[in-house]
Amino acid sequence: MKNNQFIFTIILSFALFISFNSFAQTDWVKWGKADFSYQIKNPVEQRNYSFDLSNPERLVLKSLANAYWFFISDVDGDNCAFNPTCSNFFIQSVEKTNIVQGFLMFFDRFTRDMDIFGKLNHYPRVPDGHFYDPPSLYLLDIHFINYIPPSVIVKNE
Amino acid sequence: MKNFFFTILIFNSILFSQEKNHLTNDSLFSPYNIKRFADFLYCQKDYLRAADEYVRYLGLIPNDTIEFKIALSYSLMNNYDEAAKRFNSIKESSSFYQPAQIQFLKSLFQSGNYVQFRNKYSHGTPLNDSNDCGGVASLYMFSFLLTDEPLPNEDEFLMKFPALEKIQMKSFYDWKKNPPEKSSIIAAIFSTIIPGMGKIYTHDYSDGIFAFISTLGAGYLAYDNFKAGHNFRGWIFTGLTAGFYGGNIYGSAAAAQIYNAHIRFDFINDLETYLEDNNYFLKIFNFCK
Repeated sequence: MKNNQFIFTIILSFALFISFNSFAQTDWVKWGKADFSYQIKNPVEQRNYSFDLSNPERLVLKSLANAYWFFISDVDGDNCAFNPTCSNFFIQSVEKTNIVQGFLMFFDRFTRDMDIFGKLNHYPRVPDGHFYDPPSLYLLDIHFINYIPPSVIVKNE
Repeated sequence: MKNFFFTILIFNSILFSQEKNHLTNDSLFSPYNIKRFADFLYCQKDYLRAADEYVRYLGLIPNDTIEFKIALSYSLMNNYDEAAKRFNSIKESSSFYQPAQIQFLKSLFQSGNYVQFRNKYSHGTPLNDSNDCGGVASLYMFSFLLTDEPLPNEDEFLMKFPALEKIQMKSFYDWKKNPPEKSSIIAAIFSTIIPGMGKIYTHDYSDGIFAFISTLGAGYLAYDNFKAGHNFRGWIFTGLTAGFYGGNIYGSAAAAQIYNAHIRFDFINDLETYLEDNNYFLKIFNFCK
């Protein structure tokens, strides 16, 4: 009788051991400490000051943009009403097209930036309040134009 | 040994306490109770779980009403691809075949699959949808307004709509036939003649005025600096003037394209609102009395 009880205890303990290990919680990452910051992101810190050495044209333009950021924009503060900012718009425009078209796109954007009356009902906004105006709208290719009404808040730029 | 059997007995009675005979109505998982629960969920508008329960029921007892309700649940959840698949799977022998085919075509339309919708409508069996609010024949014509394919002629187009809708449909047809779009070339030419004029042509009035002021302002500064003998500054402002002038011509062409995208967006919005307001997709089946 004692022997049977011993065998039963062994079997039960073994079964418990197996089941505990089989169904043990494995997703500890999910329940771990979240690495979260409540600090407001500073757009200046997100700037990419690196130089592109792949071609001389890009090197000259990026140097100009870096100089503008370092000596003027960073000191002046986050004052451009648009997202992407005019300087970023210029860089992206040249990347997407060529230097001539990029310059034309930039001057057009710069003129629109001076317009203090027409922005409110013309552009959608991003959550931080800036007007969303990507270069893809100005490539003169209708396939890239994704019209977003001004009433919309653009979350995934 | 006695303890062993005793433990087994306790385990069994706990584990299988709810599991009686599946086929009696006493069981929680009897077909009758599954259907009752699914109907409850469906009437509570919990369509996702209702569809799951109906599928479970269908696994036990085949029923075409349930197949139809599953499809309807997906349609009510705006999952039109799955709804179309489910509606289309209802057999011809079912009394739900006709409404299912109508809902199948409507689901294709709602999923934006206009080409397949037109193919299925043109080559499928003729449907008696006279009692169906917002007929499929009207949707067939409507689909031409939502795609870039050539429109049918006006009489043929309007014939499919009831008398009350003809005036509105004619205005949609006319818009689609001759959309009030702006030409990029004309916008660019206007801005070449007078800076900012192209922007005004595309209804960006304040942009146009600011383009005019900035080009003229930079041009005047260039002239004034040259006149005063400050050639270096003169050339800087000449460059700026050229930039503003060229940028405005380019921007006017782009503004015309954006204007066209804007009015097309509004047109599609108007069409969708019209379909909604006129109950084209109203589900007339009331299973929750």
